[in-house]
Amino acid sequence: MAGRGRFLTVFTHYFTNYYRSRSFYVMLILILLISSLMTYLSFRYSNNLPSFLGGTQFQNLPVSEKENVFAFLWAFILLDVPVFASVFFGSPAVSSEIENKTSYHIFSLPIGRFTLLGGKYLAAFAVTLVVTSIYIAFEAAVLGIEFHAFPFPRFYISYGLLILFILSLTSLTFLISSIFSKNLYAYITVFIIYFLVFNVVEILLQLLYSYNAFFLLSNASSIVQRVFINVSTSNFSSAGSITPAGIHEVLTSSFVMLLYTVIGFVAALFVFERREVH
Amino acid sequence: MVSISISSVSKRFGSLKALDDVSLDIDEPMVMGILGPNGAGKTTLLKLITGIMRPSSGKILINGRSVANDPKNVLKDVGSLIEQPEFYPYLTGYESLRFVCRIRGMDSSDCEDEIRRVAEMTSIKGYLHRRTGNYSRGMKQRLGIAAAMACDPEILVLDEPTTSLDPKGMKEIRDIISKISREERHIVILSTHLLNEARDVCDRVTIINGGKLAYDSRAVRRSDIITVRVSKVPENMVINSPFVQEYRTEGGRLIIRKSTGTENHSVVKYLVESGWNVDEVTSYDDLEDKYIGIVGKGGE
Repeated sequence: MAGRGRFLTVFTHYFTNYYRSRSFYVMLILILLISSLMTYLSFRYSNNLPSFLGGTQFQNLPVSEKENVFAFLWAFILLDVPVFASVFFGSPAVSSEIENKTSYHIFSLPIGRFTLLGGKYLAAFAVTLVVTSIYIAFEAAVLGIEFHAFPFPRFYISYGLLILFILSLTSLTFLISSIFSKNLYAYITVFIIYFLVFNVVEILLQLLYSYNAFFLLSNASSIVQRVFINVSTSNFSSAGSITPAGIHEVLTSSFVMLLYTVIGFVAALFVFERREVH
Repeated sequence: MVSISISSVSKRFGSLKALDDVSLDIDEPMVMGILGPNGAGKTTLLKLITGIMRPSSGKILINGRSVANDPKNVLKDVGSLIEQPEFYPYLTGYESLRFVCRIRGMDSSDCEDEIRRVAEMTSIKGYLHRRTGNYSRGMKQRLGIAAAMACDPEILVLDEPTTSLDPKGMKEIRDIISKISREERHIVILSTHLLNEARDVCDRVTIINGGKLAYDSRAVRRSDIITVRVSKVPENMVINSPFVQEYRTEGGRLIIRKSTGTENHSVVKYLVESGWNVDEVTSYDDLEDKYIGIVGKGGE
């Protein structure tokens, strides 16, 4: 069987195992709950944004800007979805092979570690994308029904950036997973790095040096929402403008996420290639 | 010709030497037994052969090719069951075996027949479409053996394959191992801590102790020596027969080296006529003595 065939076999094998897992159904229920809540809030406050957001600048917005505000709000929640999904599917990717001892069966098969890791990576990415796309489908439906605004270009740009974000986050979680032999350590480390380390560094640089830590994944990923309104939720000096992020910011953030994707995967592969099971 | 060559292989974990300068050559179809106490280095050796680990020094060649340098190609000829097998819990036994067949390069259309073949051999056919998360320990063991045998690899590496199996299952697996070696002319490397298993199945036995190869012998079953269990010993207990070359007593047993060409029944007939009460005659091997001798010297 050619390399591509093996790759597809690995992908299908792990994708099937992922989508049948309890983690997938937990994520699915969470997504449906959050999507339903967002749908309710969108219809409830579509004509009364100031009472929802509290700012006077949201009064009397034209429809085109109102749809941006709602798309921004949906994306604000959306950004955490891939984080949880990646933690569920990416964090145990390699560590579970060691902890659950499936590695003895898998590592002794005639298959390159690149194919194994690559197939598994794509499976984790795909299942995360499936979960995330359910939320996106709700969002598209709400925007379409409420503002007759779907499809609009920035929505597609945001979705494209979201895909890049999922790829980069999956790479990061695979790297962390390849270091550990216990799932719990991998889960905790991903959470600590993403929610604590990244945020602390970003806030400190902002407060102490007024420096925008564009190189952090958490910062770069915010472009998914900033293509609608250029407000960074962790940027204290943000002026609160409701204009979208410019092309320069989109390109910079994309480049940062691309770097995380490539470097994360290559580093994960480097560790994985040398991984022995005792 | 199928072959395995292990040359001066050592494996260290920090300051611990799990394997120390082990060399072995297997160049003909046989069942090679690896015996040793817990922590002796048996499983480490099997992990090195199957590419799960890399040696700290030395090299392992399978069919003339290095496992460490070219695992992807070398392992095509190797099926293995290392430690107690685990599978992805949300996939069925069928899906797990199909994955192995596909990775081993089998065409999709041929997988069905191959899965049926190995499933029938290991008696898991009725469980194939259950998720492996619902399998018992014994069923996982059978599935692991089926996965190792899938696509008929020339070399089978089995780490305590009869663990978790009932006596019937143990016999089935031992029969399969013997058949694979004798009829299909494959090499089987069998790690076990059961001396009777090694005695019944293996053509050659090695004992590993403290990471070192302490014993290597092809003479597992001795056809020229028999053990005779007796319940009555005559007063004049000198054995003087042309059928018996030499003998000694051990508790209620007689260990007899027969003269060349002598059948067991001739010896038994002589003993009974001399006033011995013979209860049981078995073929003798010195494996247990060797094992205790080696392990007792400084093993566990």
